[in-house]
Amino acid sequence: MTLSVSPELASPASAQPAIEVRKLSFHYSPTAAALRDISFAIAPGECVGLIGPNGAGKSTLLFHLNGLLPERPSNADGPVLISGQPLTPANLPAIRRQVGLLFQDPNDQLFCPTVFEDVAFGPQQLGLTAAQIAARVRSALAQVHLDGFESRAPHHLSTGEKRRVCLAGILACEPAILVLDEPTSNLDPRSRRELKALLQQIPTTKLIATHDLDLVAELCSRVLILNHGQLVAEGPTIPLLSNERLMLQHDLECPHVLRHLHPH
Amino acid sequence: MSLFLHLLNPHSRLDSPIHRLAARIKLAAALAIIAATLLCPPTAASFLLIPAGLLVMVAALSRIPPLFILRRLLLLEPLVLGVALLSLLQPNGGQIFVLLATRSTLCLLTMILLSNTTPFSALLGIMRACRIPALLITTLALLYRYLFVLAEEAERMTRARASRTFVPRHRRNWRTSASVASQLFIRATERAQRVYSAMCSRGWQ
Amino acid sequence: MHIPDGLLNTRVAATTTALSAAGLAFALRHARLHLPPRRVPLLGLAAAFVFAAQMLNFPVAPGISGHLIGGVLAAALLGPSAAVIVISAVLIIQCFLFADGGLTALGANILNMALIGGVGGWSLYALLIRLRRDLFGRIFAAIAASWISTVLAAVACAGEVASSGKVSWMAIFPMLAGIHMLIGIGEGLITALVLLMIVKTHPDLLGLTLPTESTVASPARARLAPLLVFGLLISIGLALFVAPFACPWPDGLEKTAAILGLNHHEVKPLLAAPAPDYHPRIPGLTSAPLAIALAGAAGTMLVFAVSWLLAKALVPKVPVPATTA
Repeated sequence: MTLSVSPELASPASAQPAIEVRKLSFHYSPTAAALRDISFAIAPGECVGLIGPNGAGKSTLLFHLNGLLPERPSNADGPVLISGQPLTPANLPAIRRQVGLLFQDPNDQLFCPTVFEDVAFGPQQLGLTAAQIAARVRSALAQVHLDGFESRAPHHLSTGEKRRVCLAGILACEPAILVLDEPTSNLDPRSRRELKALLQQIPTTKLIATHDLDLVAELCSRVLILNHGQLVAEGPTIPLLSNERLMLQHDLECPHVLRHLHPH
Repeated sequence: MSLFLHLLNPHSRLDSPIHRLAARIKLAAALAIIAATLLCPPTAASFLLIPAGLLVMVAALSRIPPLFILRRLLLLEPLVLGVALLSLLQPNGGQIFVLLATRSTLCLLTMILLSNTTPFSALLGIMRACRIPALLITTLALLYRYLFVLAEEAERMTRARASRTFVPRHRRNWRTSASVASQLFIRATERAQRVYSAMCSRGWQ
Repeated sequence: MHIPDGLLNTRVAATTTALSAAGLAFALRHARLHLPPRRVPLLGLAAAFVFAAQMLNFPVAPGISGHLIGGVLAAALLGPSAAVIVISAVLIIQCFLFADGGLTALGANILNMALIGGVGGWSLYALLIRLRRDLFGRIFAAIAASWISTVLAAVACAGEVASSGKVSWMAIFPMLAGIHMLIGIGEGLITALVLLMIVKTHPDLLGLTLPTESTVASPARARLAPLLVFGLLISIGLALFVAPFACPWPDGLEKTAAILGLNHHEVKPLLAAPAPDYHPRIPGLTSAPLAIALAGAAGTMLVFAVSWLLAKALVPKVPVPATTA
């Protein structure tokens, strides 16, 4: 079992953060603020966890990273920058190519009649040739260990397989950044292990929103804690997750993995 | 209810000489058989033995369990026979009835074999090549994809409500089914929104 | 009501296919021009909903249960053009995957269930809700429109089969129309119940029509186009396949029908018809068209009356906020 111990896992190759968010606020309605003044940066190659109780605003924040929210973006430079580029309507296609968003429910993301067509969807939108698309699909499915699944129909797959197909669909677009919303939810222990191993192998920048605190402890070098739409804590994984008082304060708890190592 | 879904086309991905044929060929053959069956003049009715024999051969080669084919045929026959029986009320009715029933059954068999040897996505590909409008193709693809998802949700909801119904009453059943239907629609619209987001996330415009 | 292969002759199959192809093509074009991109997946999901909803059981008697058809429901929730696409998609999948409904009869089935049943029903619904725009008015309109359009679709179906010459009008019309008079009540009730429950939780969903099909701020021409095109196709369908049986035709139209190969007088029934041209005998009336008109009016009034009573029974007395048209 590996633990990400060092906070300096991020490669210092580029000074420009992969994701930079400056004072992001968002309201679903005039009275309900979903996000308040969120600011953080993620360096290229980093794997960062985003944790918080239900309703904290994790999914809302993730949707801002590829422009799904706000629904009507302004043309001015917004609070979100991807690889230095501000998120504007003009940049949206380029941003969406760079940011691969894995949705919580694989049934929402797997919308084509066969696995091949679904993984090919992204490359098709990129305008690649048929041969290039086929190559990307093959390599993406190989990456997620689903070789030979091309002609399978989605409704015959297990949740774990569906999630891996969704991941393949994103990897086929060769994004620079992976943003994952609850990747291990509804998975049985074996599928969870397989997915965790997969994620460990993928070297791209990763932001993982999850309730699975053991996953965060095992994969992420840094953690962001979100509660009531605000970023309440940020820092290296182990110290933060071992802070029992902090975790309980935000309706979380110390992961079993750390409790075993650091009995209080 | 999930019985229907398992009847859908569980054998469409078997391996057999028929399954391996290109979808175009199978569709063209199906159309040809249907056309020949329907256009065969009543006086030359014995020619119907040709498509009949062809279909039996295809059924055998396709390795689809014969019992399955029979069951599907029997499921749909009553509708055919019901209307066909009305033709008996005419002079010469007996002959018309036999011809009608035979033709309809042969066409039914053709479609059953087609749907069980060809994945639906292949049929969609042919439609796309025939320049059928993209909106219709997308609708058919999404319909096929989410049919099972929604039917499963419907089944779960019905079961959940049934487990809280202690005295079955027809009226309550109506309200249950209607409320399941209304929930299905609401969930369908919400899921449509999420699918739209997923499509946009992967570059759809 | 799915017509299998073999019941329709070539000419009827070709005519119905032409009419329904025109209707579907128009609906697709209309939707392509006016449907916002975010609604595109909704068509597919709504089609899956209609298919799944058709499989729900509505028990009528031990062993017998009714099922929703969903034409008016789809149209009331999505608007006529979207409903045509949605119902056609369901029929296409049922034909190709279930063999439910013949391939050569696909045109007729789309004409009957998507155009006549769906759009025809919706037009009735849109007309009737002008009587009372509140929830009660909508439910009454839904029941009456579903009922009438179900019967109308069945009558068209009977007309198409009879025009093909294999089954006589005298045999198929009473059976289909009679059965669907009963099925229609069920359809109306189920449609009303589902609409009621949707309104309870999501009243805004009752207005998902295309921008040019709502009554709010859209150019009259864009609003009328779907109604005109669909109305024309439905009228032609009814004129070709129903009118000839229902009432005597002027010679000119008879000749046209003969040219088109629609033989509605060729098949001589074994059972004697109650009247040479089928029309109800009303003492004192010798004019066939008038008798038919009166019978139709009486039947319609009956449907309206029963629908009104059913709506009264279903709609809660507590005032619900009136939904905008």
